[in-house]
Order: sequence, then structure tokens, then C-alpha cells
Amino acid sequence: MSSHREAPEISKDPVADSTDVYAFVSPDAPGTVTLIANYVPLQLPSGGPNFYEFGDDVLYEIHIDNNGDGRADISYQFRFRTTVRNPGTFLYNTGAITSLTDPHWNRVQTYDVAVVSGGSQSTLGTGLPCPPCNIGPLSTPDYASLAAAAVNHLNGISVFAGQRAEAFYVDLGAIFDLGDLRPFEHLHAPVGMLGAMSGVNATNHLNVSSIAIQVPISTVTISGHPTIGVWTTASRRRVTLWDADRGETVLSGPWRQVSRLGNPLVNEVLIPMGEKDLWNSLPPADDKKFAGYITHPGLAGLLNTLYPGVFPHLAALVAAKKPRADLEAILLTGIPAGIITGFTNFTGPVLADMLRLNTSIAPATKPNILGLVGGDAAGFPNGRRVADDVVTIELRAIAGVTYPLIDSHFKPDGAAGAITDFASDPPAIGSRPIHTFPYLGVPYSGYNHPS
Amino acid sequence: MPSHDATRAPDPVPADRRLSRRSLLRGSAVAGATGLAVTAMGAVAGPALADSRRPSATEPSATDLASGRGEAALPNEPIVVHVRDAKSGDIEVFSGTSQTRLRDQDLAARIARAIA
Repeated sequence: MSSHREAPEISKDPVADSTDVYAFVSPDAPGTVTLIANYVPLQLPSGGPNFYEFGDDVLYEIHIDNNGDGRADISYQFRFRTTVRNPGTFLYNTGAITSLTDPHWNRVQTYDVAVVSGGSQSTLGTGLPCPPCNIGPLSTPDYASLAAAAVNHLNGISVFAGQRAEAFYVDLGAIFDLGDLRPFEHLHAPVGMLGAMSGVNATNHLNVSSIAIQVPISTVTISGHPTIGVWTTASRRRVTLWDADRGETVLSGPWRQVSRLGNPLVNEVLIPMGEKDLWNSLPPADDKKFAGYITHPGLAGLLNTLYPGVFPHLAALVAAKKPRADLEAILLTGIPAGIITGFTNFTGPVLADMLRLNTSIAPATKPNILGLVGGDAAGFPNGRRVADDVVTIELRAIAGVTYPLIDSHFKPDGAAGAITDFASDPPAIGSRPIHTFPYLGVPYSGYNHPS
Repeated sequence: MPSHDATRAPDPVPADRRLSRRSLLRGSAVAGATGLAVTAMGAVAGPALADSRRPSATEPSATDLASGRGEAALPNEPIVVHVRDAKSGDIEVFSGTSQTRLRDQDLAARIARAIA
């Protein structure tokens, strides 16, 4: 998946596991940029009585690099605090939750948000309320209103932290079954499968814990550099010790990064198993050491093995061992000016996996979920919008669709431009994104989506 | 600065000793077992040591500090000690958001005897 359970160690630590990052010029507030970092993957809506929440012992951050060095110039920090109002009950709530201060809501989470910039930290807000999880019609009868009340406005900045509907879509069951793409599976080696069929969205009807912030573009860019690099990290203290005598966890030592996410699928499918945990612990500025995995992606060779004869031009490219400068540009530097008419999100020569957003490009009036590949410069890999089909875009790019950007003589295989995870367009995602901040859809309730 | 601490690349280490969260937590459990003994010895991790991150023969030893030569204030937060290698005396000490690295074979040996 985009980054759900993508590395061995973080897969055992869901509350610190980043799943997706989105960055886009806000379509309803074009002078602002919206940054979203999702955590706690694959939430079954009925997963009570201890429903999903952020980690009180985790430092969540959304970083912005605005000078192209792959290091954070601005970091928004989020720290959470959980309060149990009534430890004498096993219930998450003892009645309908009708407001964020409702006494029937037993397990409440609040958060502080701060910004680090120029070597100093400033508090933006403290004790901000998260909404509850979406339990069901008896417990959270008007969930949309509860969530709307949890959008906080702080001197021109809007923030939200809480459960939302998963917006990332992928046919997980098929793609991890030896790279099967259901629409293509009649071509799959060694024997071919049943026949072409549409994909199945494995993340449909699941929720995620979302941190979203909307800030003025002018506060995150520097003069003459409209492109920003965005990524999220989660960090834990060096030492975690269970003090059985006191019945509490002792945390000590400096923060250490345990999760990182910029572009979707980079750590998931391009970084090999033995390097994934290390990758999660490093800043984008150190990504030069991983660049070979981007410029010589193992998945490109695997496509030729799994779908013999379907990608002959890609096979020749892989056999020639030519570095994929197109993928390097898309994922590690941004696309320089002059490659695509009227477009660039180049941030300089530093190789760094960041979601690069050229904030001078206005939101599309008719967005194309294939983003730049589909002729829509306001979509991935120019930032990432909630509905962008990043799986299809990246699979097509790895299959060679974008290689002509750096070699006009290369002719992509016909199949490369037809790769898709889903036969329908757009794929079915159950809870549609909303049109205002925080954009991700209303989370599914446990009652209505119990399994 | 928390943000910078959180995103700083770890010190270069051999590939077979790279950061593993699981191994870190295993180490923490050991550190907890020995930490109480060391806490009673005094201010092992004072501000003066907060910036040292590697073993060094020139660093003051914990026993120096315990004898009063360190002049460090007692921290209010728990002190956690991780004896990385008892034979060489390679010790990490954590308190608050600080960590320091000591090399003190005598101290490591005393801790090892305490839990034997």
C-alpha cells in the first residue's frame, strides 16, 4: 500500500505508522496549502471498545523543505494527550456523544500543535479537541457535526486531528499475490489466471487517523521558490520502559524517528526489505544512499518476469541497465523546467524523497485522478490530492511511460499506458472526500460497517 | 530542538548494529533492570554531559560525578542506564530528552554484580 505496514519494524507499531501524505493547493482557499498526514492504518470501524487513537508517546510532525536541501525548514509538531473521564466503566461512551464536551464521552483525546522554524519553536494551540471515533447511530448520531466542530482555526491556520475515512485505494489482495493486477491477470505468468476483471479496493470501508493543517502559502515558501517538499515523520523516545510497580510507561532519552513518508510507495515497493527500517529513521537529505533503488527499480524487472512478453520495450530498457532518470526526477529532485511544457517542481540537485508541490499552480477545475500523467499539473506528482490514483500513476511510470521525458527515442509498451489496478474509472471509494478542510471523507461507523 | 533531534540521522554504525526498534526496546528492558542501582549512585547524567554522545576516554566517569567532582544537579526525571557492553564499560545514560555515553568499566562491573 502507499505506506501502510511498509517496513518490518513499523508494521508492529501502528500508532506511529504513517500511511499517506497529501499536499495540495486548497481548492476552496487557493491562497493556502493543505497538508495531511495519515497514521494508524487499516482501522476496522467496529474495533472497540478501545477505539483507535493517536499515540500519546509519539511525536508526529509534518515537515516542509522550502530551499531544496532535503531538510526541514518548517516543522509542524503534534503531541496528543488522552484523558479517561470515568475509569470505572469499560465503555468508550456511556451515552450519545452530541458535542466535543459531552460527559458521556469517556475516553477523550486532545492535542498541542507547534511550529518549529528558524531554530525556534512556537506554540500554535494547546488542548485542541479531537473528535471521537465514529461508533454508530446511537453513540455518535451526528458524526459530521462532531468532526466539523473539531476543526480548529488558529490565526489563519486551520488544524484537525482525528479519524477519517481511508481515501487511498489499491487492490491489495491481488497486488501482493505476486504482482497480480486483476485487469491484466490473464497475462500473468506462469499459467495465467482467471481472466481480466476489475480490481477490488482492499481499503474500502476502513478508517485512518488523520492530521491535517491548512496554512497560507506565503508562510511556507520563500521568495522565488514556489515549490515545497513535504513529508511526515513519527518519532519515539529512545527508551520505553514498563514500570510494573507504578503501572505506567517510563519514557526517556531524545526523540528518534521511526517512521517517514513523502512520496507514496517509495519505501513500500522501491526500497528493499533490508533497508526499509533504516530508511524510516533518516531524513530525506540522506536519500542519496537509496537512489540506486529508484533509478534501477526491482519492480521494473519483476513486471517482465510476471508478465512475459507484455513489456518488451521495458525489458530491453532493464536489460540495458540504463538508470531511470525519469523516476529520479519524479521522486527525488522534482521535474526540471523544460521537460514538460509550462511545468516544473524541481527543487535542486539534492536527492530527497519529498512530495514536491509547486504552489504557483492553481487547483484544477476538472481534476484528473491520473495527475500529471493525465495532463493535470495540479495533481500527483505535483503534490498529491486526496483522490489521485497514485498506484496507477507510479506503476505506469515504473513500466516506462515516463521514460520518454528523458529519452525521446524510447517508445513505451502499449501495455504500460494501460496498466491499472481497477477497470472502473474512477475506482469505487466508499466515503467520498468532502470539498472543504480536512477533505477526507467522514469515517465509517462501526455499526454500519461492522466487518 | 525536538524537531531537529527527531530528524537527525543516527550516528554512523556498522550495518549489523543499525538501529532496530525491537533491539532498542530489548535494550531498554535491560537498562531498566540496572537503572535503579545507578540512580542511587548520584547524578550520572547532568547537563554537562548532555552533549556527549560517544564513548571517550577523556569524559568524566560516572564515579567521578558520584564522588562530587561532577557538581551536576539531580534531575527530576528518571535516569535510565543501558550497559551496552559490560566488558568494555560502554554505558548509555538517559534522562529527560538527554542521553550521554560513558566508558566506565568499574561502574559497568558494579552494575553487573548488582543484578547477578
